[in-house]
Parts: sequence; structure tokens; C-alpha cells
Amino acid sequence: MIFPVDDLLADRPKPTPLYAAAASVSEANIWTSINGFAAARVFDNVETEYRAAKDGAVIADFGPLSRYAVRGESAAALLTRVATAPAFTLSPGESARGLMLDDAGGVLDLAEISRLTDDLFLMTTPSPQPRALQLAARGLNVQVENISRAVAAIGVLGAGANEALAAAGLKIPGDHVAASAVLRGVETAARPVQFGALPGAELIFPADDALTVWERLMRRASVRPIGLDAMEVLRIESGAPRPGSDFVTRPPRSGARRMLPVEIGLPHLAPLDSGWFNGRRSLRYQSAAPEHFLVALAIDGDRVLPGAAVYCGGKPAGRITSCAWSPAVRRAIGFASITAASIGKRGEIAVSDHLGDLRGARLLDTAESRLAAAFSEAQS
Amino acid sequence: MSEEAGAGGRSRIEGGVDAIVVGGGPDGLVAAAYLARSGRRTVIFESTGELGLPVRKREMGARRFAGASDGEHLIHALDPHVIDDLDLYRHGVSYASRRLETTYIFKTGERLTLRGDLREPMHDLEDTADALGRFATGMFAAAAQLRPLTSGAAGGAQEIANALSGDVSEFPGGAGAALIQSAEDVFDRYFAEGPLRDALTAEAAFRSALPPHEQSSFSQLLARWAGEVSGLQGAVGYPEGGAVAIVEALRRSAQRTGVDIRASTEVTEILIEKDAAAGVVLSDGGQVRAPIVVSALDAHTTYMSLIGPEALDVAFQRDIAMRRAPIATVQLHVVLADAPDDEDARGELSRRLVYAPPPDDVRRAFSATRRGEIPNDLIIEAIAVDAFEEEWPEGKMQLSVLAHPLPLDADANEQRREETRAAIVASLEKMLPGAGERIEDDALVTPHDLAGRGGGALHAFSAREGLLRQLSLAAVTRSACNIGGLYFCGPEAQLGYGLNGAAGRAAARAALKKAKRSGAAP
Repeated sequence: MIFPVDDLLADRPKPTPLYAAAASVSEANIWTSINGFAAARVFDNVETEYRAAKDGAVIADFGPLSRYAVRGESAAALLTRVATAPAFTLSPGESARGLMLDDAGGVLDLAEISRLTDDLFLMTTPSPQPRALQLAARGLNVQVENISRAVAAIGVLGAGANEALAAAGLKIPGDHVAASAVLRGVETAARPVQFGALPGAELIFPADDALTVWERLMRRASVRPIGLDAMEVLRIESGAPRPGSDFVTRPPRSGARRMLPVEIGLPHLAPLDSGWFNGRRSLRYQSAAPEHFLVALAIDGDRVLPGAAVYCGGKPAGRITSCAWSPAVRRAIGFASITAASIGKRGEIAVSDHLGDLRGARLLDTAESRLAAAFSEAQS
Repeated sequence: MSEEAGAGGRSRIEGGVDAIVVGGGPDGLVAAAYLARSGRRTVIFESTGELGLPVRKREMGARRFAGASDGEHLIHALDPHVIDDLDLYRHGVSYASRRLETTYIFKTGERLTLRGDLREPMHDLEDTADALGRFATGMFAAAAQLRPLTSGAAGGAQEIANALSGDVSEFPGGAGAALIQSAEDVFDRYFAEGPLRDALTAEAAFRSALPPHEQSSFSQLLARWAGEVSGLQGAVGYPEGGAVAIVEALRRSAQRTGVDIRASTEVTEILIEKDAAAGVVLSDGGQVRAPIVVSALDAHTTYMSLIGPEALDVAFQRDIAMRRAPIATVQLHVVLADAPDDEDARGELSRRLVYAPPPDDVRRAFSATRRGEIPNDLIIEAIAVDAFEEEWPEGKMQLSVLAHPLPLDADANEQRREETRAAIVASLEKMLPGAGERIEDDALVTPHDLAGRGGGALHAFSAREGLLRQLSLAAVTRSACNIGGLYFCGPEAQLGYGLNGAAGRAAARAALKKAKRSGAAP
């Protein structure tokens, strides 16, 4: 699950249930606010944390994300309405990711849905979405409970995530199948997640037992904590756009619209030929032609800033929306929103760096862009 | 027709149908007739045994009173295109009076009679005649701007903006400005206090959800004056045989064009396949499949019951559930003994009679209604249905009375009905002293009664909010949640009140336009 953009103007962010544990191991002590909760940007060193995720396993506090327990006869119907993930087709234990769309097919948010039992689902979203769920539940036999503050959550991510979990006493049976276990007396649910291209799992347990589970993982599983800055590098490398910075999630101003799934590079998360979801008919019948596309770029330079100008064939084409330095690509990488007219035009891509100099850039091949390309090919 | 006959309806799938209309009300009949005229095999399903509901014939006692109708009793906005296109004059529509004068009767017993066309000079009004002339000229010009909206011809945001943006020399800002003002603010520009202003205040509040001092309350009157009767803008007409004669003509026109009318056949589901309407499921489990489905039922029944919330976009569902004021108009049919038999009295009764309480009493009536109480003073519109017959009956006469504002009453019971009846009779008594004692027979027709007969959900009979709000609801409901092949012409798609037919015509035309674009030949 991707974190939404930092709320930089937040005053006194609240602690998550894992704040004390995270603060005790934070050397850098650099914090930000996500959804009004304190989140560590860096624990030690961005590259060290990044390498740990690539080579072993890391843990992250997923407390600032929003979670909803959805139960009842119409639980799948509700989730089908609010997210493009195929809730009806999930078997108990399975998870799927999707998008939350408005009636016009514009992207409101990302969403991950796990079916825990026949009529009980867990929905996780980057930003709080209680109003959307409340509206969608009208007329359906379903109960929605916001459990965001009742539970704590830890993401265990990295190439060695499964081994780390096994060492802590929790075995995940498959890439899409959830599991549960008792860790040091704490009932813990685990559902597989993919942070970017990294495998991993999200552990969810009662907020009161947060420190117990954190300690268990730190001691038994030989993991180290990862902050948002390192996760940001992993995110851009994987091609996953970030709500709030790469695409706008708040209600559009009059006359404007939210970005469409194809515009943010995630058309494969809103297929028109499977189950119904909110906004699908608009996407099918009335959707406006794409105006901008979000693309991942590898830039020939060390540093660019969000907002930097992007040029195609020497002409202005868009702006950088988020960026970071990638140890794997050994250059700056980032997302850029560029006009649809620029896509497919010949000519070099260039990005203005932090000094105002133009740097060459190329499209970055990511896990998401490969999925989108395969989806488009299958559709055509 | 392809049909797989089975032991029961459950296994029956009927094909070969081009268009289905759900609901045999006036707009359903209009839509079906338009679709059938284009050569499409059209079936109309009506769950009750009657067509044209909520308008239906009312017979009381042994004597037949011609022209008495439940639901509506006058015509002011029947779409002229519907009349022409469906040849309604040939199918029996004619007017006993196409421009009724209105006599306003006040609490003091004073009377004021206004012409059917307010723009005509009325010298007997003396000092207020000029003001009325300026007011009527300005308002009729502003109302004319609204015609593309009330006729259902304009649905897009730009078309609506165009209709509202034109300036009217007699009324700065034109229809757009008039729509958002309160009736009292508009009247302040033209009239001092007096009977004329009281009469117009009652007109603005009649059948409206908004009291005359609230914003947008003038829009109801404007919408009414956008309509026409036989080419006479703003007129009120009485059709021969009453409002039910219009419904009969619509039925004949639909049958003439080849519409397959299936009464007493209930639709329980609208089939949606691949984001498009594919037909309907009937109460016996059988399916009738067609690429065009038009619903003339109310929005709640259409979308929440026949389709279901799980297939609706979330914001669409929120918008169609917009709260509506629990205010309604209630009808009372009254048979009075001792009908006057002189020509003067007959002339007087051949008018539209309106009891116009003082503006303060109108305000109080709305306040009481909003609290769920039955007000003391009601605005009354009465028609002596016999006065339009060739032969003036002897002895008795029947009044069709519409009273406003009254609570919509979700929990009506016998006691509440009796209280409602008593309140209407009390206001009638103020209008026609002695009428209460002469009542030989009466019949109350509440929104509950109309809804219970299959006329639609109760809230579909609530009084209309301001026109801008109606426009918004109409645009949402007509969008049919982007379900391909589904069109809506239920009560929420209509602007203003009364028999109109524009929504049915607009739905059918939209369906035909789409079919033409996609190359679907009949």
C-alpha cells in the first residue's frame, strides 16, 4: 500500500500505536505527518534502508493508513461499488488491489481489499474514506466499521520478507493468501501486500499490543525499520503513483475532473470487462479523452525537484510530480505529468534540474508500466 | 417474436421487442407513442389495470359528473409538441375553455377577477392596472426563456445556461434572475399591498414547496407561465371531459401507433448487461428483452427497486435521494346541494376559483405544514366541473378542489384524513360561505391514495422545490446513471407540475437519437 502525500502543514501530528517503538530506534529523528499521524522519514540512512529492503527485509509503520472492516450480506456488493478490486471473486484469505473512482471514472484513491471470511472484508486506503463508504452503503445490508485507530499495522517488506515472517512465527501460504497467527500471545492477521515490486505482508493486530509485535519482529526476524524516504525510492522504481502528489484526490474545482485510471498509468486496475464498479459506465461511455499522462522517468542527473519542467522535443510538455535518487538506476527518477499531445511525439525528453539546467531523460520501465502495457495489449 | 415457452413465466424469454416502457402513466404513454411512431415494436407495462395514473376518472354517487378527475383537473402546460406529434386533437382533446379567467376570493369576502391573459389591459383595476401590465409583460418574457427547459428540449449544462442567461428588457437579468428571487421580492418591485398582490402571492405559493418569502419561490409561477394552452402562453385551460380526457387521448394515440399495452403486468427488475439495459423481468419471472428501456416510474422505484443500489454510481444514488419537502397538495371532490341555476352564477362558476388567504396566513400555513401540522388557512383552487357541460345540471353540482399546503403525511390514518378534510372544507367555507352545509357527498384524494393505486412512491407527490433544484434533479435522473439504453421520464424528470408530457417526449427522442447514431434500425 502506498502512503498518501505528507500533510506538511499539519500541526502536532498524533502518534500511531507504534510511534514509541519507531522513535526509540530512529537515529535520524526526521518525521513528517501522514493523515495527521507522525511517520518517520528516515531512521538511519535512506540508502541503507533501501538496500536492506532490496537484499533482506524491513519493517514499516503502516499506522497512518486507513482501514475499514466491512461485514454483512452485501459486503462484497459495497466493496464492488467503491473499488475496482474484484471483491466478489475473492476467496476467504485472498487480497486484491484496485482504485476508488468517482462517478465520472476519476481516481479518488487507491484501495486494497482482503476477504477474511465469506462476509467479512478488510479494506485499506491511503487516505480516510469514511464518507465514500457511508454513501455507498446506503440501501445495502452491510456494516462498515472504521478500525483505523483500533488496530496497529506493520509492513514487512523486502526480498526476504517471507523468511523474516517465518522466523517471527508467521508463515504466509501464498502470494495472495492471508494468514493469521499468535505472536507472543497477540492475535495477528497477515495479508500479502506488494510495496512496489517488493513482496511482503501487512501484519494487523490490536493497537494495545503494538509494541509486543514490533519487538518480536525486531528480535526474531532480523529486520530493520524503513522510513518514508527510502520507501519513496522503491515506490517510484516500481511505477506506483502516490495519491496527492502524482495525482490529485480531493474534489476537483468546478469544471475540472479527477485523473482517469489510464492517465495515472493504472488502466489494468480498472478493467471494463470484469465486475461492475463505481464510474465504470462513465469510463465506457462518456469518459473524456485523456489530457495528461503520468509517466515514470529516469533522468540524467542527481537531483531534480518536484515541479521541475519537462520538455519533449524542446517544447514544454509537463512537470515532475515526485522524484528521488535511485541507487539501482544510479540517477534521479521521478514521475512526470505530461500532456497527452506529447506522448508518442518524437524528440528527446529533457527535465530541468535543481539548477535550471536541462537534463536528458528517458521513460523508465517499471513493474506497473509493464502491467499496463500487457493490459493494453490484451484489450486491443 | 422469439419466445421460449416453458411451464411457467420463469422460463419464458420474449424477444423481438425494440423498446419497453415501464409504467403506463401519462409520460409513459407519450414515450411509448413516440417510440412506436418511429416503427419500433414497443411494449408498455403497467402494474395496475389502469393507464394514465395518477390521473383517473372520478365518479361519485348515482349521478355521473362529467369531467371529474383525480390527480389533476386543469391543464396549463401540456407540451404543444406532444399534442401535434401524437395528433391528440384527432384523438379527442378539445378545450371547453382554453383561457380560464380566475376569480380570487379573499378572507374579507372581497373578490378580484383576473383575465386569462394577464397582459391584457384591465381597466377596472384602476391604479394597479399599469403595474400588472408591466409585471405580466416582463414575467411572460422571462418565462418564455424557460421553455427549452420545461419542454425537456434543453438538458445539457450549456443549454441550461443559455436558457437562463438572456436578458429581458422588462425584467433585468431575465429568467436567471427571476428564478432565484422570492415571490415577495419580485412583487415588491411592482405592487403595493392590496388584493392584487395577495392574489399573486397565493398563486406563487400554490402547489409549491416554498413559501412566498423564501428564495426561488417565484420560480414555480414562472414555470407555470412558461407553459401554454392552445398557443396561449400562461393560460389555464379546461379540457372537455376533464383532465382524464387528455389521458384517454394519449392512450388512443399510443394504441393507434401500435403500442402493445400490457396492463396488470408488473416489472420487478430492469436487466442490466454490459453496462446497458437489456430488458425487464416480470413478476412471473419471465423476461422481455429489448435494447431500449424507458422508465416512467418515479426515480426511487426505478433506480433503487428495479435496478438496485449495487449497480448504481454512488454520487448518483446520493443525488436521487435528495430530500424533498414533506408538503403536498390534496384534492377533495365535493357534491353540493342547491346548485345555482341562473346564468350569472353559471358564468361565475365557469371560472377558476381561488381562495387567497392573506400573505401572513400563507406563511403560517407553510410553517405549520413543515411541522407536520394541518394549517388553518389553505390556498384553494376549485373548479365546478358541471359548469363546462352543455347542460347545466339541476339541483346538484360538483366541485373539484385542490388545497395547498398540506403535510405529505407518511403515516396517514383515518383521523388524519378527517382532519385534512375538515381543514379543506373550512377554507372552502371561507371562499363559498355556506358550502360546508350543502355538502352531500365528498371524496378525499391524498398523495397516499394516489401512491397506493400504483401512481408511484409517496414522495413523488410532494410539492416541487424551486425550479433550479428541479432542474438539477431532472438532469440527474435523466442521466440514468449512464446505463446505456435506459431512459427516464418519471415525475422527477418533469419541471413544474401538471399534465405535461415533455419528459416522456424527451426520453423517447433521446432513445431514438441514440439508436440512430448507433445505426439500430427499427
